[in-house]
Amino acid sequence: MKLDDPQAIKWLWAGGLVLLAVVMLVDAFVPHHPHFEGDGVTIDTLPEFFPLYGFLSGFVMVVVAKALGVALSRKDNYYGDD
Amino acid sequence: MAMIDLPPALPLMAGAVAMTLARGKARWVIGLGAPILALADSWYVITEGAESFVPFLGHTLNPVHLHHATPVFATIFCIAALGGMLFSLHQDRKVEQSSGLWHAGGALGVVFAGDLVTLLVFWELMTLGSLAIIWSGGQKHSYGAGLRYFGMHALGGVAMMIGIVMLVTQRIQTGHADPLAFSHFAEFAAAWPEFSWQTAGPWLILIGMLVNVGAPPFSPWIADAYPEGSSSGTVILSAFTTKTAIFTLLVGFAGFEALIYLGLWMACYGIVYAILENDVRRILAYSIVNQVGFMMVGIGVGTKLSIDGTAAHAFAHIVYKGLLMMSAGSVLAATGKRKCTELGGLYRTMPVTMWCGIIGALSISSFPLTSGFTTKSMIVTGIYQQGELLAQTGASHTHLIVAWFILEAATAGVFLHAGIKFPWFVFFQKDSGLRPPDPPWNMKAAMIGFAAICVLLGVFPGILYEILPYKLAAARYARVVYSFEHVIEMLGLLLFGGLAFFVLLPILKRKETITLDWDWIWRAFIPRMYREVLSPLLAMLQSAQKTVLETLPGRGMHDSSLPAPIARRAAAMWAVSVPVFLIVLMLLVYLVVYFVLPTL
Repeated sequence: MKLDDPQAIKWLWAGGLVLLAVVMLVDAFVPHHPHFEGDGVTIDTLPEFFPLYGFLSGFVMVVVAKALGVALSRKDNYYGDD
Repeated sequence: MAMIDLPPALPLMAGAVAMTLARGKARWVIGLGAPILALADSWYVITEGAESFVPFLGHTLNPVHLHHATPVFATIFCIAALGGMLFSLHQDRKVEQSSGLWHAGGALGVVFAGDLVTLLVFWELMTLGSLAIIWSGGQKHSYGAGLRYFGMHALGGVAMMIGIVMLVTQRIQTGHADPLAFSHFAEFAAAWPEFSWQTAGPWLILIGMLVNVGAPPFSPWIADAYPEGSSSGTVILSAFTTKTAIFTLLVGFAGFEALIYLGLWMACYGIVYAILENDVRRILAYSIVNQVGFMMVGIGVGTKLSIDGTAAHAFAHIVYKGLLMMSAGSVLAATGKRKCTELGGLYRTMPVTMWCGIIGALSISSFPLTSGFTTKSMIVTGIYQQGELLAQTGASHTHLIVAWFILEAATAGVFLHAGIKFPWFVFFQKDSGLRPPDPPWNMKAAMIGFAAICVLLGVFPGILYEILPYKLAAARYARVVYSFEHVIEMLGLLLFGGLAFFVLLPILKRKETITLDWDWIWRAFIPRMYREVLSPLLAMLQSAQKTVLETLPGRGMHDSSLPAPIARRAAAMWAVSVPVFLIVLMLLVYLVVYFVLPTL
């Protein structure tokens, strides 16, 4: 593989974005069944729910982790060299 | 036939003993032969439906028994032992390899344990094996991490033992037909929020299991101890302890609602801590907690489908986690490095390690065509199917809706913290300048074999569904797992979760840090309290005591009227005062508990 080539990286990005676009496109036309219909929860049947939910989940988890890191991160020799 | 009376753990344990004496080729024969023999014996017992009973103190032990989840766990434990051994045998690491077989034998013994005494014995034997693996790890913190590991598991083991004694005593008093039996604690699971002394036994047994499964606040031992094994030792470690605990919870505490909440916590905790972590194998250790969290939810829901899903996921998890640990272990063995900040760009010279690592990473992320997709999603499906059922009966089930949404989010989070982060920082990221070669043939063979299982279970999940506890539930699920809707939903969830990783990459750059966890309490806070509060207090007490004693006429240790031997003995008495003080303190606590607790 020639990943050192900036051109290859560009192609990889382009390929990735095309893949994401295809998934979004297909998702818009697939009929989604609700998971909790009996409770009136239908948000998971909206088109693009899963892509959006996936992105938001990832985003929120990284942000929460970073916030927690501010309080809980220490140098990796914090406990000494036991 | 005598063989079926013996627990299938015996070939592994005999192999462990033989391994200590073996040299050269014999090590290969024992290391690979023992797991294969154990697997054959397990399946002989399973197909024969054998049971064995041993009289014990007027009761009956049942060291060979088939629980509903025994076939699937016995199979995967033997496969894990085989893969772990194959990965390790080119090195002459006798202590580690022998303990590895012993550890696996303990786990297999638990899987066939039909009574609580057998369970406890194999449980403890298993812990000894893993301790030896950690101590022979040769990493910088192996000794300390091993001590902490042992302390934690000794406590868990003691809790379990006391619980078993209480429960068995109670059962004997109430005329239970088989007081030692290990089976579903049904009454306990139904009545859990009401704590009473009547249920203290099952509670303590549960706590013992929760220690091993890595539930909060016991979770830190996993990320503390596992990465301190050697490059091959951690592969073995990652397979058994937590999944043995999952097995026992599956048998004893299915449908115990509290496990849902613990599981959701673990699923999220694992992701958040893995995102912040720099050590490659600690990232993978945190993701064990995350994956085991999914299984805990499945056990807590406790329907046939979620039990099947949990067992299937444990099977798949052991394989892909072993594979990821092998990939990270190959990198460690070749470079001596384990931190993201020191690695990167290894795709150039380690293609086999990279591809196998990527297959493991896709599997843990439950990508379609991998084992995670056909197993983890069964747990998630189990949640909403139970929700539908309860909606029809009108029973409360908001917690299931919440659980479903959290686990879907966690599924995206897994792809981010393990699926992309691990391969990205190790094999791509930046050029670290390292040019290590792929590992020796046996390590490659073990990786390729495990990668093949990941794909096989993803493409033909029916093979695994055949041996699950409730085959019918899984067989029905097999018809919908590859529905177009399910595949596209999963792809959307995962790929866009992955997009979040690359969008946020600038703030994900690793620094040389660790993240404080519950273990701060016993690694920093308690030692500090001892140094800065208790120790000075004891010193004060001692000097006060000395002053008092010296003012008493004719009693001081400097009293010249005393003969020398007696004066020395008087001096020796001071040394006793610290333990005496601590014992008095303990008695005081006991007194308070004794009088205050019943009034609560």
